[in-house]
Amino acid sequence: MNHRLGWCTVLVLLGYAWLAPVALSDPYQQDLSATLQAPSAQHWLGTDALGRSVLARLAEGIRVSLSLALGSALLSAVLGASLGVLAAWRKGWLARALQCLADTVMAMPGLLWVLLLSALAPGEKWPLYLGLVLTAWVEFYRTTRASVGALLAGPQVQSSRLLGFGTAYIVRHHLWPAVRANWLTLLAFAVCNGVLAVAAMGFVGIGLRPPGAELGVLMTEALPYSDDAPWLLAAPVLALLACVLALQAVTHEKDRA
Amino acid sequence: MGPLLRGVVRLALRAAAVGGIVGVVSFLLMRALPGDAAYRIAAGRYGYDMVNSAAAEAVRQELGLDRPWWVQLGAWMADLLQGRLGRSLVTGDAVLAELAHQWGHTLLLALAAWALALAMGLAGGSLVALARKAWLDRAMGSLGLALKATPTFVVGLVLAIVLAEWAQWLPAAGHGGPEHLVLPGLALALGLAAGLGLVTLHSMRQVLASPSVAFAQTKGLPPTAVMCRHVLRNAAVPVVAYAGTQLVLLMEGVVVVESFFAWPGVGHALIHALVARDIPMVQGTALCMGWLFVLLNSAVDGLCWLLDPRLQHQEAP
Amino acid sequence: MKSTLSPFPSTRPRRQVLAILLCAASAAPGWAAPPDSKTLNIVGPWEVHSLEPSRNGYIFTRLQVAETLVTVDNQGALVPGLASGWEVSANQLSWRFTLRPGARFHDGTAVTAADTVAALERARKNPGVLANVPLQKISADKDVVVFALSRPFTPLPAFLVNYSTQILAPSAYGADGNVKAVVGTGPYKVTLAQPPQKVETARFDGWAGSKPAIEKVAYLAVGRGETRNLMATSGQADVVFTHDPANFDRLRANKTLTLQTQPIPRTVYIKVNAAHPALKDVATRRAMSLALDRVGMASAILHEPKAAATQLFPASMAEWHVPGLQPLTRDLSQARALLASAGWIPGPDGILRRDGKPFKVTLRTYADRPELPVLAAAIQAQLREVGIDMAVAIANSSEIPAGHKDGTLELALVARNYSLVPDPVGTLLEDFGPSGGDWGAMGWASASLRDAISALSSTYDGQRRSRQRGAIATVIQADLPVIPVAWYQHSATSHRRMANVSFDPLEISYRITQMQWTR
Repeated sequence: MNHRLGWCTVLVLLGYAWLAPVALSDPYQQDLSATLQAPSAQHWLGTDALGRSVLARLAEGIRVSLSLALGSALLSAVLGASLGVLAAWRKGWLARALQCLADTVMAMPGLLWVLLLSALAPGEKWPLYLGLVLTAWVEFYRTTRASVGALLAGPQVQSSRLLGFGTAYIVRHHLWPAVRANWLTLLAFAVCNGVLAVAAMGFVGIGLRPPGAELGVLMTEALPYSDDAPWLLAAPVLALLACVLALQAVTHEKDRA
Repeated sequence: MGPLLRGVVRLALRAAAVGGIVGVVSFLLMRALPGDAAYRIAAGRYGYDMVNSAAAEAVRQELGLDRPWWVQLGAWMADLLQGRLGRSLVTGDAVLAELAHQWGHTLLLALAAWALALAMGLAGGSLVALARKAWLDRAMGSLGLALKATPTFVVGLVLAIVLAEWAQWLPAAGHGGPEHLVLPGLALALGLAAGLGLVTLHSMRQVLASPSVAFAQTKGLPPTAVMCRHVLRNAAVPVVAYAGTQLVLLMEGVVVVESFFAWPGVGHALIHALVARDIPMVQGTALCMGWLFVLLNSAVDGLCWLLDPRLQHQEAP
Repeated sequence: MKSTLSPFPSTRPRRQVLAILLCAASAAPGWAAPPDSKTLNIVGPWEVHSLEPSRNGYIFTRLQVAETLVTVDNQGALVPGLASGWEVSANQLSWRFTLRPGARFHDGTAVTAADTVAALERARKNPGVLANVPLQKISADKDVVVFALSRPFTPLPAFLVNYSTQILAPSAYGADGNVKAVVGTGPYKVTLAQPPQKVETARFDGWAGSKPAIEKVAYLAVGRGETRNLMATSGQADVVFTHDPANFDRLRANKTLTLQTQPIPRTVYIKVNAAHPALKDVATRRAMSLALDRVGMASAILHEPKAAATQLFPASMAEWHVPGLQPLTRDLSQARALLASAGWIPGPDGILRRDGKPFKVTLRTYADRPELPVLAAAIQAQLREVGIDMAVAIANSSEIPAGHKDGTLELALVARNYSLVPDPVGTLLEDFGPSGGDWGAMGWASASLRDAISALSSTYDGQRRSRQRGAIATVIQADLPVIPVAWYQHSATSHRRMANVSFDPLEISYRITQMQWTR
């Protein structure tokens, strides 16, 4: 998927997800006499097991999943990158302590952290946020520290310092351009992983409360009907695919020949 | 100290740190979980038809759940130092015995999936790199991303429907023979293979375009020798490093796959233990997972060190 | 710098690789060898975490490994099990159960009354149904087990059908008092017990009754409905219990399977905290009941319109279902009128308010039964239509008795089993006791109901019993301490290579001894 197509897809998805409450029907409106309907003129993506419009519910699902994933990914990116820069700059005991912390966090699989934290407050969103941030910040920290460490010892930063430029200048003109590409790629990965992790939580049974919609919950609800109503499962899966591919295309550097 | 001894010492320190922190944190988190532990354990034991206040009180008395939390934590740590991981609160069996039983299954599944993923990813990536067609590269890139973006349970469902229900080649669930391993292993492996294939493709292309390979050909080496001596070994280093990081994804995917295919492993048991508040089981599982990671990561580091002579001559950071 | 390596070193390896792949592919169907034709493969959702009778003992009674003193026949009537007969004294305070002559445990030893008493005493100490029996003493008298009661209790034989009262041999218990092997008296003995998922049994040669046709049985616990479905349709399992109603149509269309659904004595109802300020009026509870679209939910979610509850007990419980009772229906206008009469006024957002407080409650339910969360979501939308803001919390099933105990429970959606003992009185005694029950009434008591239940458990007079049963159903229908929603359907499939497969609505036995192979 190329760059432009990726941006188009992202904009279409965001528009669909955030404009839906205004433009489309209520995602919670049930109609028990019209369950599991195939896509038709009245319901573009059909109805689910309780007669709710899949089009409206999917929009809500994308909104919840994306805001969770984007929010936690951005938070962990900022946190990880800042800590990485700090560790590379200060060195000494702070760097060693952070390294130890990173190792300990990475020692447990991320899912276990998210599981334990989600079990703390089942059905709430904040444990999911916390769990996702906890597992994602380490990658940002490591990559940032490695590249920044090399940069800070290099001639460009040294000469800037000698010329009298301050920290803010160095960060904006030396560190950020070098780190940007990697950071954005990692961010895309973090968002994708976030959405997938939350979907796995929904499958395992520690998801959002009904009638909340989220891509994983939508997929899990659709599993029993995979034969009678395959569009129920296909819709969130394809939506997730579109999200992921679009994010990858948007953050991918212009490829080498 | 030689590098090997240094590596071992580092491994031991990490393991100790992991053990302490993971054990205490999981204990505190489990204590902080809402709801009454005695009731949850009673529900785990007697089922939702029979759980009631009388059963919960009996459980509370039997397991001493009304002791202060620091007493319970101290007792657990004392047990741990003596090599005992306590007893499961739901079944009453020794945690160590149950873990050994479950870990065997999970390790088998994880290693089978990893081997499958390596085989598929390396073969796919190498073939596409050697074919050197741009449309093939793009197709593989898209396919790989699509596979990585699909949740594991969806992949598992599709595989089960196609291979178990329509074709009836493989059993849908259960364990016991090698045929039971294929579906869950494939479900786990496909996502990993996608990533590995992409990395192999990238790495192979880089190596094939490198001056050393061109020189080897100019020298007059036969193609097979070029492949074996120069291309494969150089391309392998980033792939092995990446494969090491994939172990994390593997452990996480195992939870979902075991739940779907009724595979009696750690992931499946962990979910049940979390729901039933079986604190010793959760602690034991978290500990073992932590130690396994430390072990596997050190093994991957060691493998990289063996493969790449440059690392052997480097100063330790 | 472009490399001059040819795309693939030579064509020979490629041909070899293709040949290997083709061989593997053609051998693949051989991997899935048809299941061993001598072993019956049963799949159910219940995991076996422990061999203890009070915990997972139902698996072993269903697999006919362990027996209880009394059991039921295909019509649900009480028949002798390990006891060949029983009699009650004139004052109804002493029951004598005579053991079956020649009964043997799987380790070869004979069954004695002393062993039986030991097993029953153990059952009494552990959580189980015997706690509701006014027992004073159990003793052994040669080959007779004697129960001494403190007051007349007619359902005692029914209580002895429950799995927690199964009789195991003394050798089944280890030195620490826990069960180390299930050594029972049934026609099958355990050959492999691999908690939590596998139990395998084989015919017991010392069984005195007729030899069953099935030689070996393998039980596998599979928690997810989709996976159980696949095991049925792929032919991997011979008998599969508990299917998701969503798959019924597909299973019926499958020519290799026979799907049987039947109503069982299990009702889905809303347990109400009648001490809650918003829920204490009968008018409010009746309004909530009138707002429910039971037929819609039964058709759409349970795929069986007849499963819509018109009263607490299903039509299949012939003695307890009262035909003339005014059925529970849906009537939104009457519901709104009742709510208005109770002082509720709709606010600007549609939510009802009284004394400035909105009508906001939380319903707890559990996911162990997959239909419950879906039903809860549907009920949430239906109650919203009359202005009740109900949140749904899906939690562990134990949070319902815990919430009952500490008073925090407001509403709960449960699937209550009325066949814990073959006589619903067993469950009713627990649910409608003096201070309500963990799974039954909360903050509500009715003297007439209590009298009716205690009269039922102490009289043999047929007419009087019938009157009491009618009274119980009527009181619950009028006052609604629990609001019935639907009657449960049990579902199971059997492969066409099985014959004579029938399912026990009381879920006491899998009736393996009656099954046969068709080829």
